[in-house]
Amino acid sequence: MARIRRRDFIRAGLAAGTILATTQCAPKQAEAPLGTPNNPATGPEVNANQIKDVTLRLIGTGVSQINEIRNKAQEDLGFKLSMRALSTEENNQIAITQPGQYDIFDGEYFSLPLVIPSGSLQAIDTQKIKDFDKIVSIFTTGKFDGARVENAQGTSPYKVMYLKGKDSKEFATEATKWATLVPFQYNADTLGYRPDLVGKKIESWAELFDPAFKGKTSILDIPSIGIMDAAMVTEAAGLMTFGDKGNMTKEEIDKITNLLIEQKKAGQFRAFWKTFDESVNLMTSGEVVLQSMWSPAVTAVKAKGIKCVYAPLKEGYRAWGGGIGLSKNLSGIQLDAAHEYLNWLLEGWVGAFLGRQGYYSAIPENAKKYMKPAEWDFWYEGKPAAEDMVDPFGKTLEKKGAVRDGGSFQERMGSVVVWNSTMKEQVYLIQKWNEFIAA
Amino acid sequence: MSKTWKVLEPYLLSTPQTLIFLLFLVVPIAMIVMVSFWQFNGYAMVPAFTLDNYIGIFASKVSLATYVNTFKYVALVWFFSLAIAFPVAYFLAFYIKDQNVQIILFLICTVPFWTSNIIRMISWIPVLGKEGLLNQLLLNLHLTQQPVEWFLYSDFAVVLGMVHLYTFFMIAPIFNSLMRIDRALITAASDMGATGFQTLKEVILPLSAPGIAIGSIFVVTLVMGEFITVRLMGGGQSASVGKLISTQIGSLQYPLAAANAVILLVVTLILVMGILQIVDIRKEL
Amino acid sequence: MALQKRPVSFYFLTIFFGLFVLFLYGPMIGIFILSLQGPDGGLTFPVRGFSFYWLGQVFQEQRVGSFVEAFQRSFLLGLVVTVLSIVVSVLAGLAFRKRFLGARFVFYLTISSLIVPSVLVSLGIGIAFQVLGLPTDWFSSGLGAHLTWTAPFAFLIMIGVFNRFNPSYEEAARDLGASENKTFWEVVLPLIAPSLIGVGLLGFTLSYDEFTRTSLVSGQDNTLPLEIFGMTTNVTSPALYALGTLTTVFSFSIIIIAFVAFQFFSRRQQG
Repeated sequence: MARIRRRDFIRAGLAAGTILATTQCAPKQAEAPLGTPNNPATGPEVNANQIKDVTLRLIGTGVSQINEIRNKAQEDLGFKLSMRALSTEENNQIAITQPGQYDIFDGEYFSLPLVIPSGSLQAIDTQKIKDFDKIVSIFTTGKFDGARVENAQGTSPYKVMYLKGKDSKEFATEATKWATLVPFQYNADTLGYRPDLVGKKIESWAELFDPAFKGKTSILDIPSIGIMDAAMVTEAAGLMTFGDKGNMTKEEIDKITNLLIEQKKAGQFRAFWKTFDESVNLMTSGEVVLQSMWSPAVTAVKAKGIKCVYAPLKEGYRAWGGGIGLSKNLSGIQLDAAHEYLNWLLEGWVGAFLGRQGYYSAIPENAKKYMKPAEWDFWYEGKPAAEDMVDPFGKTLEKKGAVRDGGSFQERMGSVVVWNSTMKEQVYLIQKWNEFIAA
Repeated sequence: MSKTWKVLEPYLLSTPQTLIFLLFLVVPIAMIVMVSFWQFNGYAMVPAFTLDNYIGIFASKVSLATYVNTFKYVALVWFFSLAIAFPVAYFLAFYIKDQNVQIILFLICTVPFWTSNIIRMISWIPVLGKEGLLNQLLLNLHLTQQPVEWFLYSDFAVVLGMVHLYTFFMIAPIFNSLMRIDRALITAASDMGATGFQTLKEVILPLSAPGIAIGSIFVVTLVMGEFITVRLMGGGQSASVGKLISTQIGSLQYPLAAANAVILLVVTLILVMGILQIVDIRKEL
Repeated sequence: MALQKRPVSFYFLTIFFGLFVLFLYGPMIGIFILSLQGPDGGLTFPVRGFSFYWLGQVFQEQRVGSFVEAFQRSFLLGLVVTVLSIVVSVLAGLAFRKRFLGARFVFYLTISSLIVPSVLVSLGIGIAFQVLGLPTDWFSSGLGAHLTWTAPFAFLIMIGVFNRFNPSYEEAARDLGASENKTFWEVVLPLIAPSLIGVGLLGFTLSYDEFTRTSLVSGQDNTLPLEIFGMTTNVTSPALYALGTLTTVFSFSIIIIAFVAFQFFSRRQQG
């Protein structure tokens, strides 16, 4: 109670100099997002009383550290969650150096070659994950109907999905009982552009270096991701070739950063961005017309009534996978709560929620239960929208009849050719990348 | 009251302050120096003794270019903030006679500092952007056909942002030293037939030099380590030593960042020493 | 004297000052306007609709993060930092009224804190806590980082205050038989009180808005400037601008209150 009173006091303080705040001061309750069926509460079975006192601390990026998700989880699970939204870099930094600051790490698979050796995470017992065997095969077996994605370069999730044993810091090449992260969201990324300002259809990564867009492009400044976009661009433009884009040699790293520096010096880039909302602002303000982009950024631009295409490119997509890891500090009832949270994440509500901004769920069939048929057809099947598409926050993204850029789940994820990567030459890559940013 | 107490008193009284700075300034900087000789294994720092971090920095063309760029920012921001601060401080100190009006005007200059620096900085973006107010104005007046791009995400924007944020650190000390000038000196100068400009040059400027020096030290120090303005106003494209360090921290390369920080500290101290060589600020304290 | 030349240079400088104020406030007028947009508003012009929606949103939870809790933290931290700075600097100021061995060391140690680039303080405290295996938190490492920024200013002001302090009041008090303690509480403190308000305001302002020194050491909870920075990269709504609008309005009211208080105290001192 003391806490609430303190908060009200501060609110009153903030409001003191303002005209209206009074009406907004009612304590906010968790509100159910629009257009979702009721969720049967998966109530805690054991330790029902104590688990209510648990608070799990999450770290992750703004992509999924969304207060609506937290509120829904608290409502369904009965214990508390605190979420902390960070940039991708800070997220990995804290995951590695400050395991005491979080219970649950919501991170990306490419960070694992750095996070796992640091010993900050504990192995996840896959038998405690109810629907583990329903998870999309890209993660669990690396297979996907023989599509291109099976041979994709880079840190593909399957390569870092399993550990050799409970206390091992080594990745297993085959499925084991011990998982590093439990996946819940992933996507195939590509370039986004403003059709109204670009004036033509963008079909190749090479266009990012097209002098026609001088001073109007942007690339993301997160080395492990940006370098893969840059690799797609330089390869598509015929500027260089790679032995393995996901594991560049020092010579390749030198060459690609030199190419990037040349472009930067020539004024090709307008800005660099580190988090997806920066890319939204660059795009909506017209500062940039063509850039590396993430799916919710594209939907956010569209939600502001601005046309934006998430271009399917002939060379294929760069993909990423996000999952949940458990801090080594978790034990006892807290660990039980964490397992419940994991099961809840896969249960479908979150999959549907994130699906409405273009992400894929680790278990699409579960997400389907919480999506309207029209939504499912649009986001997963690549069919024309049977009605207006609405994002998780209630804003209309697509009018009736629109088709998702790139088509269906099978088409998009199947055409992935690289994953975000941590390379053997990671230290060198970061050094050279920083030189590019500083150049 | 015992004699021992009298002797110990100043030591006891200054102990809390000394402890704070030993704990949160001296120890941390010692740690930075130590870590700058450590190694980095890709995700963590490893105790060692290696000069590789320093060798890497001195061997890289980029670090030299980064320092040159940082000096450029320091010089420009220093120049503009002084050019703005001196007339403003002069106006407040010499032309405003009523102390209440003086305080009110001074507070008007202070209020923006209560709004988060970051918000103040990003507030330039809608003004300077391609579709921003300034460009709209220029386009409507037909002063330009194309939106001017160098308003934002450029060195211009970075310098503008820093001048906006840091001029106050120049105004306050100059104002302070101007207020201490004995008004009789000015009357004497003009009685002896000095023109306004001569009085300014021969009397006021030398007497306000310590204030200018203190302001300069603030501005130089602030700009040398700056990375947020460089990041937000430069669109991630501009380079400064502070930003280099923060990027290295972002990728966990603490030893390299520490080595850069040590060099930054040395360079900053040299600059400050240089200022102190030119102007004696002690009488200001 | 300046009065005679008023016609030319006075008006010139008045215009210059006016332009400077415009430079300070100009961009903020832009965000005032943008913060009054409708619910569909974005971060840049053109303006989309008109409402007080975003001003209200400041007090709500954001899509990610929350201003209210961060404000709470920054406010509390600012108060603690202010009080500590005042206490520490008054003590040190009293010490510096006498000559003592090591005074120069303490003086330069304190001043050097202003000269060291902020990023070093942050990095250094971060590394120190990491090496020692201590968790960083806004109320431990963050507090220390803030003190390295506010305490030197407070110290410099106190030195100036005590330099100008007329010791005859104290002597009179002592002659009348007041103890050392009593002299301090009943004579010295009331006399320096107006300056302490100044020190406090400055300390609070510096702490409340401190970003760089805190950036690596605030631990798992953000201070307001850090939360705002997080939002510049995570939020695309004008809620940030609305916060700027509200804080400016709020600051004006605080400053007015402080100004009145200052007047009140100095009048009491004179009287």
